[in-house]
Amino acid sequence: MKALILVGGFGTRLRPLTLSVPKPLVDFANKPMILHQIEALKAIGVNEVVLAINYQPEVMLNFLKEFEAKLGIKITCSQETEPLGTAGPLALARDKLVDGSGEPFFVLNSDVISEYPLKEMIAFHKAHGGEASIMVTKVDEPSKYGVVVMDETTGQVEKFVEKPKLFVGNKINAGIYLLNPSVLDRIELRPTSIEKEVFPNIAAAKKLYAMVLPGFWMDIGQPRDYISGLTLYLDSLRKNSPSKLASGPHIVGNVIVHETANIGEGCLIGPDVAIGPGCVVESGVRLSRCTVMRGVRIRKHSCISSSIIGWHSTVGQWARVENMTILGEDVHVCDEVYSNGGVVLPHKEIKSNILKPEIVM
Amino acid sequence: MTSSSLQHHIWLGRKYWILSTYLRISTRRVDSVWVGVDSVRFFILADLKLDVSVCSSDLVLLCVVEVPALSVAVFVLALLSFLASESKGDIKMKALILVGGFGTRLRPLTLSFPKPLVDFANKPMILHQIEALKAIGVTEVVLAINYQPEVMLNFLKDFETKLGIKITCSQETEPLGTAGPLALARDKLIDDSGEPFFVLNSDVISEYPLKEMIEFHKGHGGEASIMVTKVDEPSKYGVVVMEDSTGKVDKFVEKPKLFVGNKINAGIYLLNPSVLDRIELRPTSIEKEVFPKIAAEKKLFAMVLPGFWMDIGQPRDYISGLRLYLDSLRKKSSSKLASGSQIVGNVIVDETAKIGEGCLIGPDVAIGPGCIIEQGVRLKSCTIMRGVRVKKHACVSSSIIGWHSTVGQWARVDNMTILGEDVHVCDEIYSNGGVVLPHKEIKSNILKPEIVM
Repeated sequence: MKALILVGGFGTRLRPLTLSVPKPLVDFANKPMILHQIEALKAIGVNEVVLAINYQPEVMLNFLKEFEAKLGIKITCSQETEPLGTAGPLALARDKLVDGSGEPFFVLNSDVISEYPLKEMIAFHKAHGGEASIMVTKVDEPSKYGVVVMDETTGQVEKFVEKPKLFVGNKINAGIYLLNPSVLDRIELRPTSIEKEVFPNIAAAKKLYAMVLPGFWMDIGQPRDYISGLTLYLDSLRKNSPSKLASGPHIVGNVIVHETANIGEGCLIGPDVAIGPGCVVESGVRLSRCTVMRGVRIRKHSCISSSIIGWHSTVGQWARVENMTILGEDVHVCDEVYSNGGVVLPHKEIKSNILKPEIVM
Repeated sequence: MTSSSLQHHIWLGRKYWILSTYLRISTRRVDSVWVGVDSVRFFILADLKLDVSVCSSDLVLLCVVEVPALSVAVFVLALLSFLASESKGDIKMKALILVGGFGTRLRPLTLSFPKPLVDFANKPMILHQIEALKAIGVTEVVLAINYQPEVMLNFLKDFETKLGIKITCSQETEPLGTAGPLALARDKLIDDSGEPFFVLNSDVISEYPLKEMIEFHKGHGGEASIMVTKVDEPSKYGVVVMEDSTGKVDKFVEKPKLFVGNKINAGIYLLNPSVLDRIELRPTSIEKEVFPKIAAEKKLFAMVLPGFWMDIGQPRDYISGLRLYLDSLRKKSSSKLASGSQIVGNVIVDETAKIGEGCLIGPDVAIGPGCIIEQGVRLKSCTIMRGVRVKKHACVSSSIIGWHSTVGQWARVDNMTILGEDVHVCDEIYSNGGVVLPHKEIKSNILKPEIVM
């Protein structure tokens, strides 16, 4: 089986992290975002993944070489010369996706984190015999999204409604599809939206079915959702593989710590914390709801919450970092400094307090 | 004239020539013109008539004494060959350009290129300095960098061949401040010639009166020369306190509260190799540690920079700097400026750019290669970088439009708006000081200065 992952875009919503690496390579729970998806695909027998990209191909290709060997799965790139929307890239990668076997192929959105129940999705797809399956997920405020109106029993999709004013349903497109090769015949090689052009056509032909995604779902393409997504992810890890989580007297709730990280005495870590490779957390540090990326040093007695600390940054002694502070790569917060929602670009030093959310360039 | 008296005079002449040549080599200040003239005069006065067949190079002047008028032609030729040999490579000067740093003040432009490669007046910033150095005979430029060496090295290969000057990199593994990089590049800067070397700060734009600086340096015979420039508000800078008549520097005062002088360090130095012995290979400040020591020994001299000066390391000064630069271009090579009914004031337009009808461009505008300015566009006090398209009836002022961006129809862009690479301002949008990171689309007005990420 094959799969296409829609990477595209400049990842501007995840800046300043994406100023250092392209978005699919930004770490989430101590692993590059795209690796979560590639591993899930490999686990159910996909042997070739195509990445539909349009930005920084050299960086992506280097990454691929590394992981192709480690994972034992073939990874190729399909590069857009102009942005092709959410469906165009499928047409562009046609030759890589269609091999004559008639097997359906997966399409994933690279920003999505979920439990990836892909085996169940294959079973669902074969059972209904339609042309395309999509995962949908329940949300509390469907009016902000594109709602999928469907028959609850069969899963057959009636239509899509963008940002509905009246309640039509609470299921939205989760960005995970399983498509028959015939879907590619419906897509022209031009900027195209899969939600606005392709799926409505298939739905009208009564060949589109939706499966409600079990477990958690989050679009982690922006910092706020990245942080909430970590909570959901670690919660799921607690249920499925609790041994991967850290434990000990200084750990509270769900925490994942890379084996090469060092944590000092008297710390209180958690809930919902990820500490990356090579990190040094000195004594007396309080961390909650945050991600600490590779190579970061957190100095004594500091307190970090609801924030993302980028690669190789440092947080000074007694510093207080909170409220969606995002530090880019190589950012140094001096001792005793307070950051309330500072968004700091790479290679900066923060010597004075950031009292309200702002971008520091 | 007997052959013995001829031999005697030739011996005297040769001795005189050798003496003066010795003087020339040891002081490098003896003007060979006068040596030549003196030699000729010596022998004219001696009224020698010599056999034309005598022809060793240092006696050539003797041969033509028989025809005094020709002696003038010969010494002119001697003068010319002397000057040619002076500039060609008997003396190979070197220079170091302090590039360093991440250029964060010039973001978002420096998110696309390292700072020295950001264009200023349609040329990478660092090229202004390298060209000025080449023009006065520098044969080798060392770039002290610590960031994105691959990008810099690619650029170098390109320009080394085009310019015919050797360009190398000296890469810091940790930030070494403003003096440390000199120690790091020591081996590249010192050769046996004992020549002083230039040190330039890559953010500085000026007229680069480097030849005058060499003269000044030779004139005072001290160890180090620095350029200083007058500013109106010296209290914001490091002031150089100096004796106005000799240029000798007393001391440096950082951000003085009381008035001590109005000259600040312009970031252009000419240093004897011995200065390198004063600098250790560690993070060091040239203003705080090295220069004060040389000043204490009364070996540091400052020359007031003639013409304009600007540190263009941040957008506001970049825009003011363009005005000063174009003003200077008007005085020196006004043919490089654009002219025509659509042009007002000083404007520079790359030959590959296109400007539509009904535009009003200037003053103080730079339009880069491949730009397309559609009809009815108003541009003033702005820089339009390579590949930008400004659509019809738009109005751009006091702003910088980054590479390959577009400005929509009837858009209004002003008050220090800085668009990074590939930014697209939609039709009819107003940007008041927006600072926009690369690869963004601006679909709604930016009413007050803010960063759009």
